[in-house]
Amino acid sequence: MSTDLLATSAETWRDRSNDPPAIPDELRPPQHGGVRERGRALRQRHDLRRQRAEDVYEASRNPVRGWPVSGNHAVLAFFGDLVRSRKRSFALLVLLNALAAASALVVPRLLGALVNRVQSQGAAVDGLDRLALTVVGVVVLQALFTFGAQRTSTHFGQDLLASAREYVVGTILRLPIGRVEGASTGDLVTRVTRDVGTMARSVQWGVPRLLISLLTVVLSVVAMLLNSLVLALPALVVFALCTPAVRTYLRRAPKAYITEGATYSRINTTLTETVEGARTVEALGLSGRRVRAGGDDIEVSAQAERYGMTLRNVLFAALNGAFQVPQVVTLVVGAYGYSRGWVDLGQITAAMLYVVALSEPLDAVIGEVDRLQVGAASTSRLLGIAEVAPDREAGDRLPDGVELVGTDLRFAYREGHDVLHGVDLRLRTGERLAVVGPSGSGKSTLGRLLSGINRPRTGTARVGGVDLVDLPLEVLRTEVALVTQEHHVFIGTVRDNVVLAREDSDDDAVRAALRAVGAQAWVERLPEGLDTVIGSGRQSLTPAQAQQVALARLIIADPHTLVLDEATSLIDPRTARTLEGSMNSLLEGRTVVAIAHRLHTAHDADRIAVVLDGRIVELGSHDELLDLDGEYAALWRAWTS
Amino acid sequence: MQDFPPRIATFFTGTDDAPTPDPDTRSPASFLRWVIGQQKALIALSSLCYALWFLPSTLGPWIFGRAVDQGIVGGSTTALVGWAALLLLVVMIGSVFGIVSHTLVVRSWLVSLYGTLEMVTRKVAQMGHVLPRRSPTGEVLSVASSDSDEFGALTEILARTVGQLVSYLTVAFIVLTMSWQLGLLTLVAAPVLVGAALPLLRPLHRRQQVERSRTSDLTSMATDIVAGLRILRGIGGEQTFGANYDRQSQSARDAGVAAGIWQAVVEAVGVLLSGLFLVALVWTGTREVQSGSLTVGELVTFLGYGLFMVGPIRTFFEFAQKGVRSLVSARKAIAIFEQRPPWRDPAEPVALDGTAALHDAASGLTVTPRILTVVVSGVPEQSAALADRLGRYLPADTEPVAAEEEDGTKGRAARRARAARAEERARIAALDEERARQEWGVTLGGVDLARANLDDVRRQVLVSDTGSQLFAGTLQDAVDPHGRLTREQAEHALRVASAEDVYDALPEGWQGQLDERGRGLSGGQRQRVVLARAIAADAPVLVLVEPTSAVDAHTEARIAERVAETRRGRTTVVTTVSPLWLHHADHVVLLHDGTVVAEGRHADLLSDNDDYRRVVARALDDEEAVR
Repeated sequence: MSTDLLATSAETWRDRSNDPPAIPDELRPPQHGGVRERGRALRQRHDLRRQRAEDVYEASRNPVRGWPVSGNHAVLAFFGDLVRSRKRSFALLVLLNALAAASALVVPRLLGALVNRVQSQGAAVDGLDRLALTVVGVVVLQALFTFGAQRTSTHFGQDLLASAREYVVGTILRLPIGRVEGASTGDLVTRVTRDVGTMARSVQWGVPRLLISLLTVVLSVVAMLLNSLVLALPALVVFALCTPAVRTYLRRAPKAYITEGATYSRINTTLTETVEGARTVEALGLSGRRVRAGGDDIEVSAQAERYGMTLRNVLFAALNGAFQVPQVVTLVVGAYGYSRGWVDLGQITAAMLYVVALSEPLDAVIGEVDRLQVGAASTSRLLGIAEVAPDREAGDRLPDGVELVGTDLRFAYREGHDVLHGVDLRLRTGERLAVVGPSGSGKSTLGRLLSGINRPRTGTARVGGVDLVDLPLEVLRTEVALVTQEHHVFIGTVRDNVVLAREDSDDDAVRAALRAVGAQAWVERLPEGLDTVIGSGRQSLTPAQAQQVALARLIIADPHTLVLDEATSLIDPRTARTLEGSMNSLLEGRTVVAIAHRLHTAHDADRIAVVLDGRIVELGSHDELLDLDGEYAALWRAWTS
Repeated sequence: MQDFPPRIATFFTGTDDAPTPDPDTRSPASFLRWVIGQQKALIALSSLCYALWFLPSTLGPWIFGRAVDQGIVGGSTTALVGWAALLLLVVMIGSVFGIVSHTLVVRSWLVSLYGTLEMVTRKVAQMGHVLPRRSPTGEVLSVASSDSDEFGALTEILARTVGQLVSYLTVAFIVLTMSWQLGLLTLVAAPVLVGAALPLLRPLHRRQQVERSRTSDLTSMATDIVAGLRILRGIGGEQTFGANYDRQSQSARDAGVAAGIWQAVVEAVGVLLSGLFLVALVWTGTREVQSGSLTVGELVTFLGYGLFMVGPIRTFFEFAQKGVRSLVSARKAIAIFEQRPPWRDPAEPVALDGTAALHDAASGLTVTPRILTVVVSGVPEQSAALADRLGRYLPADTEPVAAEEEDGTKGRAARRARAARAEERARIAALDEERARQEWGVTLGGVDLARANLDDVRRQVLVSDTGSQLFAGTLQDAVDPHGRLTREQAEHALRVASAEDVYDALPEGWQGQLDERGRGLSGGQRQRVVLARAIAADAPVLVLVEPTSAVDAHTEARIAERVAETRRGRTTVVTTVSPLWLHHADHVVLLHDGTVVAEGRHADLLSDNDDYRRVVARALDDEEAVR
C-alpha cells in the first residue's frame, strides 16, 4: 500500500540545487553600458515588474485555494447601499465640506480686491481695516466649517467602517458548516486582519477625503471661472494635459500596491515562522536558511517597491509639469490681458493664488482614488466570503426518535477519490462505539457524516428517520455533536464560552454544567466568576481547564449522540486521563462514537469498528474481535504484551 | 551611496557575508542617531533635492511680484518675458528634483525599513531558542512589521524638514530684503504657529492610542472567531460572539470618532492660525504700501508667501509627531537588538563523539550508544526537561518581558514600570549567562556539553520536541530543509514516519505546498511530517519527545517498528509511555520525580516493577477506572 501512495514520487521530486534565485537576473540593473542602453534596460525591468504585479493581482483575484473573491460590482453595490442608508449624514458631509472649501476660496478674491484698491488708490487707501476684518471673519468661518466638516467626515467614515466590518464578521459566522470543517482558516485570518485593515483605511479616510478633495477641486474651478474666464481657461487646459498619464497611473498603481502589500505579508509570514519556530530552527541548523529566506523575501519586496516608485515617478513627471506650468501661463496671459484691459491686477493675483492652491486637492484626488482602489480589492476579498453558497437547506421535518443510521455512505473530497466506499452502520441507542483504523482510512470522514457536517455523496445518515443535513442547525446541534481535538477558548466571559449551543441558558444551567465537569471550583476563584473574560491575551486557562470548558459546552448542548474525533489526542496523557474521568459522567446514557487512537478507549467500548481503506472490516465487541483474530486482535496483542 | 535592499550582516554569523556594524543600543536617541548616521549622505542629498523641489513655491511669488511691478504695471515686455522665462526655469527645476527627491527618499525609507527587518531576522537567528525566553513573540514581530516603518518615516520626514527649513529661511530672507517688519513676522510665525498647535497634540495622541488599542482588540476578536469557527458553527454561539464583536466594533468606532474630533480641532486651529498670520501679513503689507515703502508687486509676493507658510508649518508639525513615535519604536527595537546570546564557545573546544555514551547527571540517566532507549515517565514535563538537558537547551521556565506595554500609565509611573521590566529582562539574561557558563551536567563520551562548541552539540544531538514546527513551503522542503537528501532517502523518511498519506493528499506530491506552520494538516499528519524530517536529518544522537502522541495505534505501531529498524546502530532516545514503542525498545528507563528509578527490558519491567506497570499498562488501569 505504501508504495502506491508514493507512486509519483519520481515525477514530483525536484533537484533544488539549480533553483532560480529569488528574483531573475533581468531585474538587476546592468553594471555597464551607455545611457541609452541603461534606459532601455530600465524600461525592460519596468515591464517585467509590471508583469509580476499583474500576476500577483490575478492570483489574488482568483485564488487557487481558499475562499472566493467577489467582483468590483459587488463592492460598488455594497458601499452604495451603505451610503444610501445614511443619506442625511452624507448630505450634511457634502454641505459642510462645500462651505469650508467655498470660504477658503473667498480669501484669494478678497486679496485680489485689496490689490486692486492699493493699485488704484495709491498711498491713500481707505477701508483697509474693514477689509482686513472681513478676511478675519472669513478665516474664522472657514475654521468653524473645517471643524464641522471634519467632524461629520469622521462620524460618517467611522459609521461606514463599523457597518462594513460587522457585516463581514456576520457573513463569516454564517459560513456553511461543511466548508468550515474542510477548509484551512489561514486565508480567512488574512482576510479579517489584513483586508479589514486595508478596507478600514480606505473607508475611514479615503471616502471622506476623496469627497472633500473633489468638492474643493470643483469649487476651485468654479471660483477660477468666476474670477476671470480669460485667465482660467488656459490654465485649466494645461491642468487637463496630465489626464492620460493619470489614467495610466490609476490603472496600474492599485496592482502595484496590492503586490507590495502581498510581499510585506510574505515577509511577515516568514519572520513569524522563524520567531515562533526559533527552537526548531536552531535544532535543525536552519538559521542560515531562514536568514536567506528573509533576505529573499526582502529582495522580492524591493522589486515591487521599485515598480511602484517608477510608476509614481512617471506620474510626477506629468503632474509637476501640469500643476506648475499654469503659473507661467497665468502670468503671461495675465500680462497680455492686462495690457488689453481685459483683466485687472486683482484678478491676476487671485488667479495666481487659485492656480497654486489647486494642485493640492488635485494631488489628493489622485492619491485617494489610488487608495480606494486598493481598498476595493480588499473589500472584494471580504465580500467574496458571502458568496459561499449555503450547503444545506433546512427541511421542516423533525426527527422521530434518537436512532442514528448510516446506509451506503460514500464521500469524496476530490472528485473521483472516494474515501468511504459504502459504509453501513446502525448505532444502538446508548452504546459506545469505538472506531479504530490507520490514519487516512476514512474514520474522521465517517465521523463527519454521522454528525451531519457533510452530506454524503451517496447514501444517507439519518436520525429518527430524518437526514441529518436536512435539520436546522439549532436542532442538529442538540441531536448530534462532533467533538474534535480543538478546544478553543474564545475571548469572552466564561458564560459566553459555555452557553454556545443554547445561548439563552441561565446562570444556573451554566453553573450546573461547570459543576458536572469539575470546573466549578476554579471558575468561582476567578476575579469575576462567570463574568471573567477569558481567552487569548486575557485570563489564561490551563489546557485541562480549556478542556473542561469544552466539555461544559457539550453538557449545555445535551445531544443524545456524540461523535468524539480524537478529542483528547492533543493533550498530555495525564490530563487526558483525568479528563476522561469527568467525560464519563457526561457520556452516561448517551450514544457515543469515539474515533480513537488509544486502544484502551476501544477496549472499554461496547462495540469496535475497524475501518480500513474506507470500509468497516471488523465490527463487534472487544472479545468478539479478539476471537476473530484479525486486525484488531493483532494490534491489541502488540499493545498489551 | 546606499540602495535598497541594504546589505546587512550583523548579529548572526552563520552566513558568509562580511559583518556590518551593530546598531547603537545605548539609548533610544542614540539608536535613532545610528539609524540616520547609517545613511548620512543619502539623507543630506535628499534634503537638498527636497529644497530644490520646493523652489517654485520658494521663489515663485517673488518672481511673480517682480513681473507684476516691471512687466504688467511697468508695461515692459522684455522684463515680463525675462521673468516668465525665469519662472518657467524654476518650475522645471522643481519638476526634475521632485522626481529625484522622491526616488532618493523612497530609497532611504526602504533602506531603514528593510535594514531593520533584516536585523530582526538575524537577531532571531543568532539568539535561537533563548529569545522567546526573554521577549514576547508579538513584540519581536511588531518591531519588524511596524517599528521598522517608523524608522523609514523618520528618514523621510527628516529630509523633508531640512528641505522645508531651507526653503522657509530663503523666503524669510527674501521678505527681509523688502521689509524688515514683514521679514520678522515671517521668521517668528513658524515657531509661534507650531508652538501654539503642539499642546493639542497630547490629547490627540491619547485618543489615537485608545483607538489603536481598541482596533487591535477588535482584530484579535475577529481572529479569535475565525480560529474557533469550527466550534461556533458546529456547536453554536454565533449570536453571542457576533454580538460581542459588534459591541467592540462600536466601541472602536466611538474611540475613532473621539480621536477624529480632536483631529478636527487640530485642523481647524491650523486653518485659523495660518489665516490670522495671512491677515497680519496683509494688513502690515498694505500699511507699508500706504507709506510708500512697498510696491504693489511686492504686496502680491507677500500674499503668495502668506499661503506658502502652510507647507513648512505642517511639515515641522509632522516632524514633532513622528519624532516622538520613532523614540517609542526605538525603545522597542533596542530591547530586542541589545540582547546577547548567553553562550560562549570554550577557548579550547573538545570535539564530540556522537557514537559514545550520553550521560545526564541530574537524572542519573546513561544512554547506551547505538541502541533505542525509551524513557518512561508518568509526568511528561519531566521527560521533556530531560530531553532539553540532553540537547543543551535552556528550559522555557521564564515569563518573557515586553519593552512597551499599553497599560495606560503615563509619565513617571510608566517610566518606573519600564525600568522594572528592563531589570527583569536583565535578570533573565544574567540567569541564562550563569547557566551557560557552568558545567552543563550532560556528557557525551565523557565530555561535558559545555566544553564543546554549541554548533557541534547541535550537529551530534538532535532533539525533536513537542513544539517542533513545520514551515511554509513544499513537502520536499519540509522533509529535506537542507536540500541534502536523495529522493530515495526522503521517501524512506516519509515511510518510516508513516506519512505517505500526506504526500498522497497533495496533488503536486513533493511540490505540494504546506501552509505556514503546516496549518492545513491535521495534528497527526503534522506530527508525522516532523518525525520524517527528524529521521531524515540522520543525527548521530536522536532524541524524540512524545513523537506519536497524536497518531492512532495502528500507525503508531508501524512507526515504532520502522524507527527502531532504521535507527539500528545509532543512538536513539524516545520519551513515551506507549507500549507500542516499548516493544521495540532495546532498553527502557523509568523516571520518577526526574530521576531514574528502574531500567531494563520492557517485558522484565512489566512483570517485576509495579510502578512501571502502573505508568505503562494503561489499558488495565483505565478498565479499573471505568468499571
